[in-house]
Amino acid sequence: MARDPKYDILFEPIKIGPKVLRNRFYQVPHCNGAGSDRPGFQAANRSIKAEGGWAGICTEYCSVHPESDDCHRLSARLWDEGDVRNLRAMTDHIHKHGALAGVEMWYGSAHAPCMESRCTSYGPSQFNSEFENLTYCHEADQDDINRLEQLYVDSALRARDAGFDIVYVYGAHSYLPLQFLSPYYNKRTDKYGGSLENRARFWVETLEKVRKAVGNDCAIATRFAVDTLYGDAGVEVEVDGIKFVEMADPFVDLWDVNVGDIAEWGEDAGPSRFYRQGHQIPWQQHIKRVSKKAVLGVGRFTDAEKMAEVIRNGHLDIIGAARPSISDPFLPQKINEGRIDDIRVCIGCNVCISRWEIGGPPFICTQNATAGEEYRRGWHPEKFPKRGSDDSILVVGAGPAGAEASRVLMERGYTVHLVDSAEKIGGCVNSIATLPGLGEWGYHRDYRETQLNKLVKKNKDSQIALGRKAMTVDECLNYGADKIIVATGADWRSDGTSGLTHAPIPGVDASLDWCVTPEQIFEGKKKIGKRVVLLNCDCYFMAPSLAQRLRTAGHDVTIVSGVELARYMHFTLESPNLHRWLHNNHVEIISGAWASRAEKGRVEIYDVLGDGWERQYRGPGKLPRAENTTQRWIEFDSLVLVTGRRSRDALYRGLKARASEWGGKGIKGVYIIGDAWAPKLIADATFDGHRIAREIEEKDPQHAKPYRREVAVWGAPHMPGGKFEIEYQQ
Amino acid sequence: MKILVPVKQVAVLDEDFELRDDGLDADPDFIDHESNEWDDYSYETALQIMEAHSGVEVVPMTVGPEEAEESLRRCLAKGGERAVRVWDDALAGAGPATIAKLIAAVARREGADMVFAGTLSADHSFAMTGICVAAELAWPHVAVVTHLEYEPGAAKATVQRELEGGLVEKLTVDCPAVLTIQLGINQPRYASLRGVKQAKEKPVDELTPADLGVSGEDLAASACFRLRRMFKPAKGQAELIEGTAAEQAARLATIIKELKGAA
Repeated sequence: MARDPKYDILFEPIKIGPKVLRNRFYQVPHCNGAGSDRPGFQAANRSIKAEGGWAGICTEYCSVHPESDDCHRLSARLWDEGDVRNLRAMTDHIHKHGALAGVEMWYGSAHAPCMESRCTSYGPSQFNSEFENLTYCHEADQDDINRLEQLYVDSALRARDAGFDIVYVYGAHSYLPLQFLSPYYNKRTDKYGGSLENRARFWVETLEKVRKAVGNDCAIATRFAVDTLYGDAGVEVEVDGIKFVEMADPFVDLWDVNVGDIAEWGEDAGPSRFYRQGHQIPWQQHIKRVSKKAVLGVGRFTDAEKMAEVIRNGHLDIIGAARPSISDPFLPQKINEGRIDDIRVCIGCNVCISRWEIGGPPFICTQNATAGEEYRRGWHPEKFPKRGSDDSILVVGAGPAGAEASRVLMERGYTVHLVDSAEKIGGCVNSIATLPGLGEWGYHRDYRETQLNKLVKKNKDSQIALGRKAMTVDECLNYGADKIIVATGADWRSDGTSGLTHAPIPGVDASLDWCVTPEQIFEGKKKIGKRVVLLNCDCYFMAPSLAQRLRTAGHDVTIVSGVELARYMHFTLESPNLHRWLHNNHVEIISGAWASRAEKGRVEIYDVLGDGWERQYRGPGKLPRAENTTQRWIEFDSLVLVTGRRSRDALYRGLKARASEWGGKGIKGVYIIGDAWAPKLIADATFDGHRIAREIEEKDPQHAKPYRREVAVWGAPHMPGGKFEIEYQQ
Repeated sequence: MKILVPVKQVAVLDEDFELRDDGLDADPDFIDHESNEWDDYSYETALQIMEAHSGVEVVPMTVGPEEAEESLRRCLAKGGERAVRVWDDALAGAGPATIAKLIAAVARREGADMVFAGTLSADHSFAMTGICVAAELAWPHVAVVTHLEYEPGAAKATVQRELEGGLVEKLTVDCPAVLTIQLGINQPRYASLRGVKQAKEKPVDELTPADLGVSGEDLAASACFRLRRMFKPAKGQAELIEGTAAEQAARLATIIKELKGAA
């Protein structure tokens, strides 16, 4: 199909300095876990987007010097010739597909803990980072400022050598240039502090020097948090924000504008739980009023209508995207081809971001299982190897894992029968998407449902059978499938078993009317009393989401949490606003406590660290610490159990127990994936399904083939012409 | 005892489609085919009787080109041992009475004791074919059946029909009879992969009208109407007024004048 003319505006080229972007789709800098040390990963993950139609594709933040070292988190680096060589792979591959490559030159100041380099960083004033807490910078004097500006210039020259078309001076997320601009960080009284002109001086001088060095060859971009959201304690868009844009505009070709800081950068990379697409427009829209240059901005734009609207309305010139480009690297191409319903829409869960926050493992995506697997496993998001056999496959369970396995198997040309007892594809996502703020997570189901319904029409032997009685072991054995994939999901524990005690809580039993599991809440048959105590031993969203749901429905909610409540949501950037919500709505949280027993109407809780601090060997049968005596009772009408999950694996184990019958029934293998294998993130369950579908004809499809590793190689020095042997100072 | 189940491969239009140059049908480039949903229910009705009693044979049949065999294989994947497909290129565009003549001929040839058809087909929605089959065979018929009590070989069947307002009509019908089955009478089964594989090996008898002793003249005479034209009715559409404020005002004024003129 042809592109809808209403989207033509998204495909108009736009000039930025000496370069031209071929359309208005632009992947802003975002982390992926590749950096400069995994050049294959970096090159493949970025260039797949160039192939998918994006006009500009950037690195993640890219350190200009070892004194901006973010280790344990993972940035790219442009420190030396070794980095130039490795990043060149990325720019070369991007250029092959006709897109421009950008690099985001970064100096973190106190926010970079320098745990690898052991350097001390510089900043406008001395403070310890509100992001790192333990790390202080040194207050820069004039010599230091001259040196800092030169670090950007030297790095820009290396960036040009590495083939970058767009060179950023990165001043969003509270990094160095913004620290000079913002009175929150800048307490100076010299010509770099005080008035706006003085606070802007460092940034403007740096832009001017970088422009002078590489401006004829590269477009000069700057990423600017136009409002730090602290009111007049920081930068406000209609005060310092637009004035700074006017001052720096002559030295900039491309403004990349957002809001917020680093400690709460979820205000920029807003999770769908709290923010809809385009949530930064009220701030971003001011920039085009004062700038003569191209302006781009993010806002998790997933919808072509909205993208066209913000450009048509003159709010932005270019659609910046990080998460939507991860979820669907072919988003521009699909819009161009009129394939709107083939777009794998970002659900805004921020699990991609969580990996950077954790400290740099390769990123993952809930929607796109191929994200980060392009190089090491050779997975293309839109291309699938033709089936390697005529095997027919029965997939039991249409949740994230089973639906993804079926989709990829069907894409590969296999005959697949997908069965589920639910009326709808989606599994647990059908329930999760009903939780407060998580409606967009339903896009995960919607994408697979749409694709499966298309694919099943291409092969009349394939079938999607929903709403049927759960399959038994005998039915599976006699189904006539060559291979069976079990993807039957997991349940929340009904007896209080948790990762904390590894045992049931005496008295807890979800078959009783006062005890309720999350599934029972979704089912809606059990009456929930006014006073709810929610026992939580899960680190992710279920407990706080149920607390929101029950509180909104008028219940008094107390969470007793044996683990840090919503700990994983620090990593997904959902934590600050979630805690604000719980606080605003008077949800009581009792932390570091767990339950020792329960009975109708009350539960006995204790402080997890309430036993003796002193450890002594006291012989068998005796604990090495003084007994915990912190037990007390709290009352409830309903006790909600978010204590732990258990795989629903009975079908798989039943089939395994009758493996001797497989041969006679023509069954070549039975496999288990997703939560049924072990409870996990939706992203990882989706990966399981994708992975087994690509490897179903392998000798052991249950277990993943080895992937290609990118590691430092003994004998190959990082620096071209350098040495690798062990050498000590003499 | 044999139950004949005529099924149809129906046309499904793409979201955006164009009409054929002769204006009598949609352009085949924009058409997909699938089994008629009602036929899942009529076939299931027959299979349930077959499974509950010994000596019952269920034969699915269709009047359609080679591609329509898919719908028969789909039936055979769920049960039944053989199927019948009737076709001649001259049948392209044939109406329900013509199709019914051929179904009736198959019923006679097979010695069918009952015919279960779908109430209607999803594409043309005449709801005529089953009833015409009854007329051809001079059998009684009941349309829109939502419940059936029938012992193979019995002289009468008891059926229920759902009427307006949730009213249920219960009646008996002499057998043999033609019943047209409504959605929801049962829960149609899905095929297993074993069934899908086995269905590929089951025989489908391919017959022409001539094989059934139906001549071209018979077919021509059976056409009870002639398709004149197929078209998309013009719809009132909103117009996005573009341009400068002055241009937009001018366009708006023109529209108002036109509307006043029309009134």
